[in-house]
Amino acid sequence: MSGRPAAFATVFRREVVTVARTPAYALLVVGLLVAVGGLVAVGGGGATGFVPAVVDLLLATEVLVPLAAVVLGYRALRSDRASGELAVIRTFGVGAVTYVTGVLAARLLALIVVVGLPYVLVGGYIWVTASPDTGIYATHTGVDSPLLFVRFLTFAVLLGAAYLAVAAGLSALAGSRRSAVALGGLVLAGGVLGGDLAVLRSLSTGTPAAALPDLLALSPNGAFRGLVFDHVIGVAFEGDGPTVNAGRALLALFGWTVAGAVIAVVALGPGRFVTVAFERMRRRVGA
Amino acid sequence: MTRRLESMERTASTDDPLIEADGITRSYGGVAVLRDASVGFTPGLTVVIGPNGSGKSTLLGTLVGQVPPVSGEVRRHGPAVDGRIGYLPQDVPFRDAFTARETLAFYARLIGVEGAVDEGGDGAVDDALAGVGLADAGDRRVDALSGGMRRLLGIAVATLGDPPVVVLDEPTSGLDPGMRERAFAAAGERAGTGTAVVVSTHDLELAEAYADHVVALHRGRVADAGPIERLLANHGVDDLAGLYRSVVGADPAGEGSSAAAGDDAEAKPTGGEDDAAVHVPGVSDR
Repeated sequence: MSGRPAAFATVFRREVVTVARTPAYALLVVGLLVAVGGLVAVGGGGATGFVPAVVDLLLATEVLVPLAAVVLGYRALRSDRASGELAVIRTFGVGAVTYVTGVLAARLLALIVVVGLPYVLVGGYIWVTASPDTGIYATHTGVDSPLLFVRFLTFAVLLGAAYLAVAAGLSALAGSRRSAVALGGLVLAGGVLGGDLAVLRSLSTGTPAAALPDLLALSPNGAFRGLVFDHVIGVAFEGDGPTVNAGRALLALFGWTVAGAVIAVVALGPGRFVTVAFERMRRRVGA
Repeated sequence: MTRRLESMERTASTDDPLIEADGITRSYGGVAVLRDASVGFTPGLTVVIGPNGSGKSTLLGTLVGQVPPVSGEVRRHGPAVDGRIGYLPQDVPFRDAFTARETLAFYARLIGVEGAVDEGGDGAVDDALAGVGLADAGDRRVDALSGGMRRLLGIAVATLGDPPVVVLDEPTSGLDPGMRERAFAAAGERAGTGTAVVVSTHDLELAEAYADHVVALHRGRVADAGPIERLLANHGVDDLAGLYRSVVGADPAGEGSSAAAGDDAEAKPTGGEDDAAVHVPGVSDR
């Protein structure tokens, strides 16, 4: 392996080791486990089955997973730039695309572990303890199944990936650690609340309700929620039709992820030349 | 516009510059930090001297591509055309949680250095560590290294893979005399192998001991450049401190010649235009 694939693998490996050696991320796993486990225990749905547990976890997941993703991403691309190490890395022929994809892929792996571990543990607990029998692999509507919980977790990871990429992308623009935190908070608040508020405003200004499935799919949280309603909860219960356009929802989650990566690549690549362009304009104007 | 590039004295083909800055200007917020700087760097050790804020880090940053110029260009020649440029920034940036060996191995893998991942301890990484005197510190985490050891590690990273041009931004800043000597010795050793090593420094004594060439910057301009003996003779001075006084018009001790002084002021210039900058015939003439 040589060239870009080798550089990608090297950056990826370094980032994975960095995450593995950061104790705060282990605490994040513990915190999520406590939160998710506590919610299932308090809600009582876990005692009945996976789908009731998903109902208990849905709202919290819409906050906890984005929060974990932002924590993993808000400094991901800023730290090397701020320390000056990115300048050294560039002299080894690593381009912005290779660097950003390597870091984001590693952080995505970390997200899968950080989010996946608590949910898998809780899911395993439900599998063992819930009654009636949850060890049935659903093949048709109306049957609870661990596969539905796996599907829920998959959607949660897709939601987290979108937040991770956007938070990391904006971190590449942040000038200081404080602004990186602020941008991370903005991503979290804007994503968790902003999308729904925008949909509500849109409906109040005359957008027909029939457009709701398409509108919901645009924001990460709306897309996630709709997918869970239709393809996890809706599998076990009779619904009134799709909550969200599934294809559009998946495309939106993927699109937010790609958008975050593109922001990062631009910020760390051609974005460096923006200030030079301004200086050139200033010289022309001043000349 | 025709430009006459001032490069080092050319007495043989090996004295042709491997890299040259041609008419480089860089400004921040409209304030020029580097103005119309033209200078070539030949094999050997070139020290870049000048007061804080004179444009040293900016010039070095343009050479490695870290600082895009507002105007002018950087040209590479010979083996430097395709080769990478080794770079040690002013603040050594490596991740704390990695050991010195892991840090070097990361960079070695990026350029596919053979034996980079040899766990037996005799690979290229360990050779590089030994080359800067850190053979016994390979398993120490970066945050457990002293400031001097970090800079030596930075030099090892910068010189990994034998790049034809190595740029070291104040490698002796904040170091004790012994470490400063080691840093310059490592740079000098590399320069002896046909590499163009460019070092910015306030450490004039060590610079004089090791340098083949000098570039003197003053208020963003190349005030003088050339082989050290020629510059000393031209200015009628005995040492680099005298040359500094002659070019800058100030005592180096009063301009932050302390190794710990750093050059942080360069990104935030406080001076305005200075058309009365020192003008030396043959240097950056326009």
